Amino acid sequence: MEQLTIVGKPVTRVDAEEKVTGEAVYGYDLVLPKMLYGKTVFSARPHAKITRINTEKARRYPGVVAVITGADAPWTHGESIKDKPFLAQGKVRYIGEPVAAVAAEDEDAAQAAAALVEVEYEDLPAYFSPEDACKPGAVAIHEDFAGYRKADFIVSGPMPNVCEHFKLRTGDVERGWKEADLVLAERYSVPTIQHAAMEPHSAHAQVDPESGRVTIWVANDAPFRALHEIAEALGVANEKIRLINPLQGGGFGSKGGLKVEPIAVALAYHTKGRPVRVKFNRQETFISTLVRHECIVEIKSGVKKDGTLVARQMALYWGGGAYAEKSPTVCIRGSLPAPGPYRIPHVKVDGYAVYTNKPVSGAFRGYGIPQGAWACEQHMDEIAKRLGMDAVDLRLKNIFVDGDLAYWGEQLHSVGLKETLIKATQAIEWGKKQPGARPTVKRGKGFACISKPTRTPTMSRAGVLVNGKGEISVLAGTVEIGQGCSTILSQVAAEELKVPLERIRMAPLDTDVIPFDASTTSSRSTYHMGNAVRRAAIDVREKLAEMACPMLEAKKPDLAFADGKVFLKDQPQMALPIGEVVRRKLGNEGIVRGDGSYTYEIGKDLDLETGHSDHASAFYMYATQAAEVEVDEETGRVRLLRMAAAHDVGMAINPLNCAGQIEGGLAMGIGSALHEHLVVDDQGRVRNPSFLDYHLATSLDVPKLIPIIVECAEPEGPYGAKGLGEPGLAPTPAAIGNAVADALGMRIYDLPLSPERVYWEIQQKKKKTAA
Amino acid sequence: MTKKIQITLNGKKTSVEVQAHRLLLDLLRDEIGLTGTKEGCGTGDCGACTVLLNGKPVNSCLILSGELDGAEIVTIEGLKIGPELHPVQKAFIQDGGAQCGYCTPGMLMMSKALLEENPNPTEEDIRFALSGNLCRCTGYAKIVQAVQDAAVELRRMKTEG
Repeated sequence: MEQLTIVGKPVTRVDAEEKVTGEAVYGYDLVLPKMLYGKTVFSARPHAKITRINTEKARRYPGVVAVITGADAPWTHGESIKDKPFLAQGKVRYIGEPVAAVAAEDEDAAQAAAALVEVEYEDLPAYFSPEDACKPGAVAIHEDFAGYRKADFIVSGPMPNVCEHFKLRTGDVERGWKEADLVLAERYSVPTIQHAAMEPHSAHAQVDPESGRVTIWVANDAPFRALHEIAEALGVANEKIRLINPLQGGGFGSKGGLKVEPIAVALAYHTKGRPVRVKFNRQETFISTLVRHECIVEIKSGVKKDGTLVARQMALYWGGGAYAEKSPTVCIRGSLPAPGPYRIPHVKVDGYAVYTNKPVSGAFRGYGIPQGAWACEQHMDEIAKRLGMDAVDLRLKNIFVDGDLAYWGEQLHSVGLKETLIKATQAIEWGKKQPGARPTVKRGKGFACISKPTRTPTMSRAGVLVNGKGEISVLAGTVEIGQGCSTILSQVAAEELKVPLERIRMAPLDTDVIPFDASTTSSRSTYHMGNAVRRAAIDVREKLAEMACPMLEAKKPDLAFADGKVFLKDQPQMALPIGEVVRRKLGNEGIVRGDGSYTYEIGKDLDLETGHSDHASAFYMYATQAAEVEVDEETGRVRLLRMAAAHDVGMAINPLNCAGQIEGGLAMGIGSALHEHLVVDDQGRVRNPSFLDYHLATSLDVPKLIPIIVECAEPEGPYGAKGLGEPGLAPTPAAIGNAVADALGMRIYDLPLSPERVYWEIQQKKKKTAA
Repeated sequence: MTKKIQITLNGKKTSVEVQAHRLLLDLLRDEIGLTGTKEGCGTGDCGACTVLLNGKPVNSCLILSGELDGAEIVTIEGLKIGPELHPVQKAFIQDGGAQCGYCTPGMLMMSKALLEENPNPTEEDIRFALSGNLCRCTGYAKIVQAVQDAAVELRRMKTEG
């Protein structure tokens, strides 16, 4: 195999220096000439008709330039169901829904005027859990649902407020129950949590009064999709929209789709060409951007005495919030692999995405996998306990290996799962029991396995430019959201052109000049954009070689590249720096461009009746995480002692970055396991929209982390790479849950494992035992 | 109400006209244009806006501009030592302590403050010192490592004068 010079090396991030000096400019930092300041008026009711809006006082406030309501912005958008208005259209569906907006000369005036907008409501019945919202007789949250434009794959109903029903049908579970020696049914739940990226949401927009062209500056993780969604909503051609992507201070799924963008665009139509900035503060970000789906999971399994899984049935109720957003695809992609990475002959899964009157749920790192895993992986431990089997042995008996036909009809390859299971459990000395520090402090160990698909099929395109100085620009629509794509893609370009990393620059992301990319989501970038950049770099390298032939009096096959030069393989002293090749052919200001594109096109969409596909995903990510905990029975506090996370990343392009992704995922997983819960009360109000009351994992909550990279090459991936961004948090709560159950000898079925919950569960168990 | 105040900002004496009710964070970002100091919550809960005020780390979103006459303020833009990156900045680069980078300026200012007060911190000391600075990307592992490495380097620099 070809010797790699920079791919596979733990090089430091190409964007690190601008970030440690404060020079990096994020969306939230951006100031534009003659900019106006926007402020949003949010709904105060969870489900209500708007009977009257009075904007008179707000309009008269000094410094106010525009006050708009739904009547001024009669547009609706949505990724797979067009159900979400730019500003409320006659009714509201959650507390936090944008109802009106103000643009003013300064922030204070905008805020003061927004407070003067009067809205009167007539309340409607509201639902705050997916189970309530889909009960027979529930009032439709979207009374016009039937009339909405929808993607072809949407299957709604049969219950009220169900915007997507995903079905997986394999074998015959009824037969499975008969063949099984043990049948176990359980119910688990996962609450609403939030992305809580450190940079709150913002967007700037400007409408050119002459051409009507709309320019939007926003740190959106899918600029081309956002552009298309805005154009479609406005009823204009895509060319009428330009999106410029400043740096993003974290997203985790919350900064895709449209959040602040519609408000900024709607205001910009009323500011006579002046740009307007709409910033959400932290509280607004909590209530009005996006949350992760709460989920109720019913799981039932049939298993043989020797641990062989025979049948599994699951029903997952995904709380979608007030608008569909990405609920349909989270429901599909989260429900499909929810029965776990195991061989199971009889499987039946029903996933229901349900509208509720709560903040909108959507993409969140892991895209539905953590919710299914919380149920499935604890359920596996309960099965092991009942069979008197070691939990690792039960997994080994059933776990996916190369060549297995997965229950959704796809033959699997490059499955590194078993190695992750062995390495993660070894790292916490699985099987070795230790007593707690005191009699009331119990120790336990647990682990959990997952597989995760990626969004398929999708396309990435890239360009690579080489100038006369031998400097290289990479044109890629992948958004640097902190995951390190700029470093990975730079490494890929440097590798193919055999130049030092310092020669590579990532071009700024502007949809007017950057080639198309589907999205920076779904752990797809290293694989898809990595392949596209690699192809573009090879393309430009071939052009350089062609140009160099007459200069070196050689034929193309006789040429090679190294150290920024092209040379004769037999006579390495016959060499030319690549910049010189460009200059000699095209002059000092010449530029050579290569292009590359990658689409995973094999396979077909999921069958709507069975959920089957022979290629549901371009690749799969596999992981096992293992935890050791101490639980204080007197306080209910769970203390993590150590956590190991073994991830099959394909081949690591940058081990330092891989470890960073795994550790970051773990901390987020730990937060969701032990603390995080965005509480919505019985009036639909978010009760803890601040970092004081919504507890992210701090440096004191995160224990010693042991990231383990397992390399199981993916033949189609660039240099064998798969993706890694999302799985880091997916098995974490289940691993911790299993460790807590091991420590206490009892199972807790609902997240988070906060001291209060653990304490009361222990008390209840004591009461039951006493009775 | 506007007020004229004298401050020393990143080593440079300046006189600025401030609206007394505006926050130090807004003064830095909106009035002076130093956007390296980040706004994460505006309520003192996340630490992203940490700067040094008279040598002590503070959340600049909790300080009123009107109180600042005569104050000495150091922001992320003033962390370099001459043209050189501060050892803690170098260590964050080397160890992978920054991902999205939004919490990084606050983390660095808090780390600098810690290392000035305690040149030889334990891992526990570092975790405690940074516990008011939230990071959603890194899991803190590489940040803690970077502060440990910076401590070693700062001690070496001190010994070698």
